[in-house]
Amino acid sequence: MIQFLQQLTNGLSIGSVYALMAVGYSLVYSIMNFSNFAHGGVIMLGAYFGFFGLTTFGLPFAAAFVLATAGTALVAIVLERIAYKPLRDRKAPFLYFIISAMGASMFLENFVIATIGPNPKPYPPIIPREPIAIGQLALGRLDLIMFLVSAGCLALLVLFIERTRLGKAIQASAYNMKASALMGINTDSVVILVFALGGFLAGVAGVFYGMKYMVYPTIGNITLKSFIAAVFGGLGSLPGAVLGSVLLGVIETLVAGYLSSQYRDLIAFVILIGVLIVRPTGIMGKTVEDKA
Amino acid sequence: MLTVRDIHVSYGGIRALKGVSLRVEKGEIVTIIGANGAGKSTLLNAISGFLRLGSGDILYQDKPLPKRPDRVVRAGICHVPEGRLVFANLTVEDNLRMGAYLRRDKAAIAADLEKVFGLFPRLKERQRQIAGTLSGGEQQMLAMGRALMTDGDLVLMDEPSLGLAPLLVQTVFDIILEIRALGKTILLVEQNAYKALDAADRAYVLEQGRIVKEGPAAEVKADPSVRAAYLGTESNQAG
Repeated sequence: MIQFLQQLTNGLSIGSVYALMAVGYSLVYSIMNFSNFAHGGVIMLGAYFGFFGLTTFGLPFAAAFVLATAGTALVAIVLERIAYKPLRDRKAPFLYFIISAMGASMFLENFVIATIGPNPKPYPPIIPREPIAIGQLALGRLDLIMFLVSAGCLALLVLFIERTRLGKAIQASAYNMKASALMGINTDSVVILVFALGGFLAGVAGVFYGMKYMVYPTIGNITLKSFIAAVFGGLGSLPGAVLGSVLLGVIETLVAGYLSSQYRDLIAFVILIGVLIVRPTGIMGKTVEDKA
Repeated sequence: MLTVRDIHVSYGGIRALKGVSLRVEKGEIVTIIGANGAGKSTLLNAISGFLRLGSGDILYQDKPLPKRPDRVVRAGICHVPEGRLVFANLTVEDNLRMGAYLRRDKAAIAADLEKVFGLFPRLKERQRQIAGTLSGGEQQMLAMGRALMTDGDLVLMDEPSLGLAPLLVQTVFDIILEIRALGKTILLVEQNAYKALDAADRAYVLEQGRIVKEGPAAEVKADPSVRAAYLGTESNQAG
């Protein structure tokens, strides 16, 4: 039982970081109807921004965190302006967006390899390694912080989307861009806002992922997991993205803990395919009818 | 109030409007009739800022109309789009409140909400219902009510009777007259030429991107070529 709880808490922690990534994916998908495969590159840059903030600039953790998240929000906006806005203006088919996203992703990865180098770098030890004991349960401090900060960010995002005027504009635009514009909503600003929010969450995820493992140029590949989680939960649905991510994190750690870590990704993909066979729109996805 | 001067619009490689000019005076109902593909919706989308003008210009209250949809709304033109485009995932009331997105005066918004419910008692009954579950006629009313919530003075309506049962078609045209009675000006695009000409003060006939006829609605309705092309016999259109 203790081992199960232990695995569960680990799973929740990594699942919450997947959720940050998956929500960024889903936000963009809900507005633009395409998967932003360059999101992983933004997460990778977030990890590097945090790393250089702490090492080269010697900033305290909070300042490095702000630098990383503000930096990725900005990168995400610039990415949208360069890679997607020209396509939006020409009303290009969505395949072009995917190609542009892949190009941007390759650019970011290789740019970092060329300028910083391909070798993984460890984050400086900021969070003490010794776990907090609750009864027989040993909670890693970093895992706890990851979970709490991620959950906090997601809660703030939900409040923003549900309670503010701009949040309403995002919801309306996710449903229909033309109808939103007819309400007087500047849909171009909504797109920028969505990329900024996704970029901010990518920064948080990047810093945590770098702290938990290491920083390296292909760190963005991890977003494949969050993409699976987003599809699993239902692309375009934010609660679905969170649910899918947490489930994926928990399933992964349980498989790694009880079976073998070599089967971890195999099982994750099997579950994805299984869910999509039964429910092509994911657990909480929009039905095809109401998007038409 | 609205002056469209010699506008040309192309999209998807097709020249959809080839020099269209028209005007709408305050308090009027002006209708544009024409066959499918004549460019009626294109014209409304060009006014609303969704399509770029190749040439020509559009004046609203003697000033150039902005070229971005949200700014056109801000300028005071609202648009009931073809196909209604209600927010099917939101309640009726939330849909109407989205119409007031640009407005800050809560008292005025509440007053207009009551006005819309007065116009559409059906929507009041269903204000907590999710818009996607409404019937086609109710969604059309919601789209009209939502446009009115922007408090625009000029209402563009794109095929409001499309796909509705004959009884509802009459209701929609009754409501158009009531909306005018609220002090709004209406530019109406319709395939149901018979009803549209009955409701309108003036009419334009659009054919293949060009205005081929214009005048008082009664005159256009009496024109033999219009009768032949768009009206058929009264009995099969009166619905």
